[in-house]
Amino acid sequence: MSAYLPALSVFAAALATAIPWGLPAGATFILPMLLMAMVFCWRTLPDTAFPVYLALLLGLLTDILSGGPLGFWALMALIAANAGERAPSPGDSQDRNRLWLVWAGVAVSIGVLSWLLGSLYFLRWIDAWPIALGVGVSILLFPVVLRGVVRIKRGRFRHKLYRGLT
Amino acid sequence: MRGDHSPFKPRPRRSWRAPGELLNFALIFLCIVLLVLSRIGHAALTEARDSVVDMTAPLLEATSTPVMMARHAASQVGSYVGTFSEIDRLKVENEKLKQWEWRAKLAERNVAQLRALLNAVDEPALHFTTGNVIADARGPFLQSALINLGRDNGVRVGYAVINGDGLVGRTVEAGASVTRILLLNDLSSRVPVLVGHAGVRAIASGDNSAALRLDFLPEGALLHPGDEVFTSGSDGVLPRGLRVGVVTGSPGAYRIEPHADLSALDVVSVLFFDAPALTRTDPPTASLNRALSASSDDSKPPAPVPTGSVEQPEMTGAIKQAGTPGTPASESVAQTQR
Repeated sequence: MSAYLPALSVFAAALATAIPWGLPAGATFILPMLLMAMVFCWRTLPDTAFPVYLALLLGLLTDILSGGPLGFWALMALIAANAGERAPSPGDSQDRNRLWLVWAGVAVSIGVLSWLLGSLYFLRWIDAWPIALGVGVSILLFPVVLRGVVRIKRGRFRHKLYRGLT
Repeated sequence: MRGDHSPFKPRPRRSWRAPGELLNFALIFLCIVLLVLSRIGHAALTEARDSVVDMTAPLLEATSTPVMMARHAASQVGSYVGTFSEIDRLKVENEKLKQWEWRAKLAERNVAQLRALLNAVDEPALHFTTGNVIADARGPFLQSALINLGRDNGVRVGYAVINGDGLVGRTVEAGASVTRILLLNDLSSRVPVLVGHAGVRAIASGDNSAALRLDFLPEGALLHPGDEVFTSGSDGVLPRGLRVGVVTGSPGAYRIEPHADLSALDVVSVLFFDAPALTRTDPPTASLNRALSASSDDSKPPAPVPTGSVEQPEMTGAIKQAGTPGTPASESVAQTQR
């Protein structure tokens, strides 16, 4: 499977993080964390090409659109991509639960690292609650993200089937 | 490497992955370098960021339009639901405003007489241009928004941005067609303000939450919840008298509730306020006169968005607008005159 479908879906999600949804000030970490969950999911799927440099580029795009420190979300995307590569593939429901657990660990790690890195960047302790909220929501919504990513991938398979028939 | 991950079974021996690991290391190192360069505010990075934002602007505008329309529709539905209670509230408010109108006219006349006696010099006119928010560029570390105005429209770094409710923030990056606004509640936002009738000087600081902190209050300053907060203009960047918000909280923990809903911005106006500090730090790349005269000089090409100008009132305090009447700028600038 070529990398364009994962890249395109993550690109669309990165754009969606910049759309003015009217979310409250404390909910700003949610959408980027869901984006990281998406990167993680794409990397766990077998027979899927989603190279780390693409994760870096899309993380950079998120940085640029959010106006935050350049390289921050790129670094987090790299961490999510590498963790996804080392995580078990979502085969049966037991695997999916295990993957959910792995994502919970990765999300908490990303959250803690974000808080430390953000505090170091701004030379003051930044508010941890928005980060904790983003991490919590991303853990809760992980099955939805995984299902969405799998659906996108299956859509690609349908295209293949269509081409095979024609 | 995917397969059986049971801790009780030996993992299969990994194949040689040095190139992949090396690439990972190089990319992580690149991210750290970018973070450091971003921290020190490297000019090349800023320019590159502006270019990318300019490139993605049409896409952002296209994707945000249906969302904005949906938000408008939702708010309209909400207003229809509460129409009757809203009418009652407006009737009461109208009665109060009539009394205030009479007081304001009286005060205006007095001010005009005093200014004439003092031979006071009129403040320079404030021009503005109005645009839409195309991206909600808020993250855990930055509260900002992108608007569809740029240097081509005469916008430069450091200009105040307002909407119908009050001050929203200031411009921090300006591309050709897109500008980033640093919102009032951003961690690095500091606005010198005057509080209440006594005009107590303080600094309104953002901390990424919805309300602003009120720092550097003089000792013994007497504030009351509900006191109006407006810009003092002492930074030489923002004009004096823009509405910011109202005081909330208790002594020792005063906060400012901004008038503008910073999480749901739609239409905003950029004030062309050229303070000396600005002209030193951000020399214009586009001809400012072109954008400012778009409403008055028909021989020049019109700006892509409605451009208006707000001028100092003479005796009546009326606001002259050459562009779109009733733009969000009008209310806040009206407060400036007061």
